[in-house]
Amino acid sequence: MNREFIEQYIRSHCSAEDYTCRISESDSHETRFAQNGITQHLAGPKVWIDLSVSFGAKSGNSLVNQGNEANLDRLIKTAEENARLAPEDPEHMPSVGASELPQVQNCSDATLALTPEQMVDIVQQTINKAKALDAKVSGMCEKHISTNGIFSKNGFSAIDSNTVFCHSMTLKKGEVETKVSYEAKDFAGFDLDLEFGRLASQAEALARQETFEAQKIAVILRPPALQELMWYMNWMMNRRQSDEGFTPFTGMLDKQCFGEKFSLHTTLKNPLILAQPFNMMGVPTKEMTWVEKGVLKAMPTDRYWAERVGCEAQMPYNMYIPGEDISETEMMKLVPRGLIINRFWYIRPVDMKRGELTGMTRDGVLYFEDGEVKHAVNNLRFNEIPHEMTQRILAFGTAQLASTRAFVPPILVDNFNFVDKTTF
Amino acid sequence: MKYLDLAMNAASSLGAEYADIRIQRSTDQRILMRNLSLKNADTQVVDGYGIRVFKDGAWGFAHNNVYNDEAVLATVEKAFHIAKLSATVNRDKKLRLTPERSYIATYKTPYKTDPFEIPLSEKVELLTQINSNMLSYEGIRQAMSYFIMHKDEKLFASTLGTRLDITYVFVDPIITATAVADGDSQSRTFDEGGRTVGWEWIEELDLAEKAKQIAQEALIKVKADTLGPEERRSLVLDPNHLGLTMHESVGHPTELDRVLGWEADYAGISFATPEKLKNYRYGSEIVNFVGDNTLAEGMATMGFDDDGVPGQRWHIIKDGILNEYGSTRDTAMEIGLDYSRGCNRATYYFDQPINRIPNLYLLPGTKALSPAELIADTEDGVYIQGRGSFSIDQHRVNFQFGGDFFWEIKNGKLYRPLKKVLYKSCNPEFWNSCDAICDKRYWRPFGVVNCGKGQPSQTARMTHGSAPARFRNIRVGGSQ
Repeated sequence: MNREFIEQYIRSHCSAEDYTCRISESDSHETRFAQNGITQHLAGPKVWIDLSVSFGAKSGNSLVNQGNEANLDRLIKTAEENARLAPEDPEHMPSVGASELPQVQNCSDATLALTPEQMVDIVQQTINKAKALDAKVSGMCEKHISTNGIFSKNGFSAIDSNTVFCHSMTLKKGEVETKVSYEAKDFAGFDLDLEFGRLASQAEALARQETFEAQKIAVILRPPALQELMWYMNWMMNRRQSDEGFTPFTGMLDKQCFGEKFSLHTTLKNPLILAQPFNMMGVPTKEMTWVEKGVLKAMPTDRYWAERVGCEAQMPYNMYIPGEDISETEMMKLVPRGLIINRFWYIRPVDMKRGELTGMTRDGVLYFEDGEVKHAVNNLRFNEIPHEMTQRILAFGTAQLASTRAFVPPILVDNFNFVDKTTF
Repeated sequence: MKYLDLAMNAASSLGAEYADIRIQRSTDQRILMRNLSLKNADTQVVDGYGIRVFKDGAWGFAHNNVYNDEAVLATVEKAFHIAKLSATVNRDKKLRLTPERSYIATYKTPYKTDPFEIPLSEKVELLTQINSNMLSYEGIRQAMSYFIMHKDEKLFASTLGTRLDITYVFVDPIITATAVADGDSQSRTFDEGGRTVGWEWIEELDLAEKAKQIAQEALIKVKADTLGPEERRSLVLDPNHLGLTMHESVGHPTELDRVLGWEADYAGISFATPEKLKNYRYGSEIVNFVGDNTLAEGMATMGFDDDGVPGQRWHIIKDGILNEYGSTRDTAMEIGLDYSRGCNRATYYFDQPINRIPNLYLLPGTKALSPAELIADTEDGVYIQGRGSFSIDQHRVNFQFGGDFFWEIKNGKLYRPLKKVLYKSCNPEFWNSCDAICDKRYWRPFGVVNCGKGQPSQTARMTHGSAPARFRNIRVGGSQ
């Protein structure tokens, strides 16, 4: 695909009064394995050319996935037709103008150089290690190279590229099932021996399981579990939805509605996590503090609502929750008993206005008492309100990479609300 | 199209044991109106081809969006290379494919009016009327209406000699009113799901009138009582609620790839393992679930699946007993079957097809029974309409569901409206507690348009259906 050709073609052929074009291209290689064999294996490029145009306050969109003249003609014609047939939008916003963008580095040479043969070798080694434990492993080894760009009639023009490498592994041995996942922009940081060692160690800790009834109890949420919960909470923090009365954060700006030690940011400064220099609205990204020491400081906002209420049009492009340095062993000594949660599964809103979520634990739950792990327990269902949960945080561990877009610590939370149990 | 033969000949020449090519052009029109602001008027065309090669017991899949001989041949070679790489890992765990004959066929979704032929202005005018009707009620703070129209034009060829030409169209309207009052916010949604029909269905629905009803019910809901602590109660569930319950607790557990552990790392596995076939009591004797990819207007009715296997109808649960799975050519062989049930589907051209839920529905009761009679026969319970919160564990055992609109039933009557109702249950307790199903006059379909599964994630479609049904002794209560 020739990005310059597409931009030039649209600039010279689009007759709309205003336009914004987003061009995304990616090349992926994904090797999926299950029960010690490869079940799927796919590769190929993708392209998305997405054009928004307007005549006055009448707007229309179109998208194609091919950058030749015939498709670009159709793209322009369809978007313009849609705009002409649309009514005037009272919330219409003109396209963004030229901006100075922050400098970011989202590409890794090691990830770019990774070959399909190397990826299959990683899968083969993973399976060999599982077989050596008389176990079965399922997962996915994947590599993605993506480039996203935006240009507008009013002068915005920017491109950002990133790389992602992921290797996830779910080990099953007897009744024990647990998962470890490495997700980063840089393949160079991946160490299969280390990751599989963590997986085997988790599996070993889960070997003896006892039945555990649902109750309110202290939990240590490991980083993958915390980030899952926080993304859902983040989704409910939309500024307009809150201002209009639909979320628990209505009227809560600049008020203490989180725990006093809890802060939530998006950051350009952490080289380990992806940080795009502009968002899909064409607004340059910046350091954002959403929650500072428990006080709600800002909420994700689109351009229209930001202009109306006088705030910044920013979205969370990644998640950073600062930690402290309390180890898991020390956390276990801070409460008489509790559970260690590896991951959550199937989180869904229960009550948007209260901010209540439900979900299940997954991939191993450990029971501890008197400062040490005693045994594993069955999976449990929770109904919990995350922002209220942060008021019950007793300790933070060291923040670490949880995914390509999250750098969060393990936390110790009191009285986590489990409401049901399952049979495994 | 010449690329079908070019690709299949090239794959055979390279030594593929099996190969297929799916040339697919997907057109979507999505129109979203929030209050009186048109948030999206979008037309998308995604066009390309995916080539699968099976070699030495392993798959390779490559896709491309460039149409010329060189690109097609390069894509075949890439798929073949990937399959050979996979085979080096699968030496002692080779996949196998069920035998299948070849087909030359054309399938087209029956519709009277192509939804893409209706001018955008007419669609927007209808959405404006719908939202205006909702906003005319004091207390409605947000009106949302959304039309999705989708068309797939697929050409499929395989080295078995199959040649298919498939045109698949569906429409899906959703409207939601949100009321704010007394410090609470509650929504009510009209959502019958998608159907493989044309614009004529939208006209039949009279959505502008439905919008008024939805708005009134949102206002009732926001001021409704909550249920209080969890207790064992009866549930009467409407078809457009049961659709999601059966999707999660019957549809996914009976996908054979999950049963085999192929989704263990992400979507999860299933408690309904093969030794339970033909002997496991999944539900009461009146519970009969049918997989049916021949269902008229069904979202998974497309003539053939992406293995080139024709649509079929079979019992997944028969008289309450686990009878059979939804399968594909590669999963069926793993449990010794010599046929596939035709459940292999991909979403876009760049997706490798995977084992999906077929159209799956609960057969209606055989004795005459109306919803009014069912409620009259229920002393203490809750009647639930529409979809709400839903969550189920990764083995598909324990689940918690909400709903969209609730009535408390007392002494056989709808006593008072409720909000924030949840029920918790598990397989097989839930389906074994089913003691009454209304008859076929009250059977209604519900078309799912966004079933997420797989890595990389895909969004599949299928239709569920049922008549209103009753479940006894279920844990039901208010949230928290």
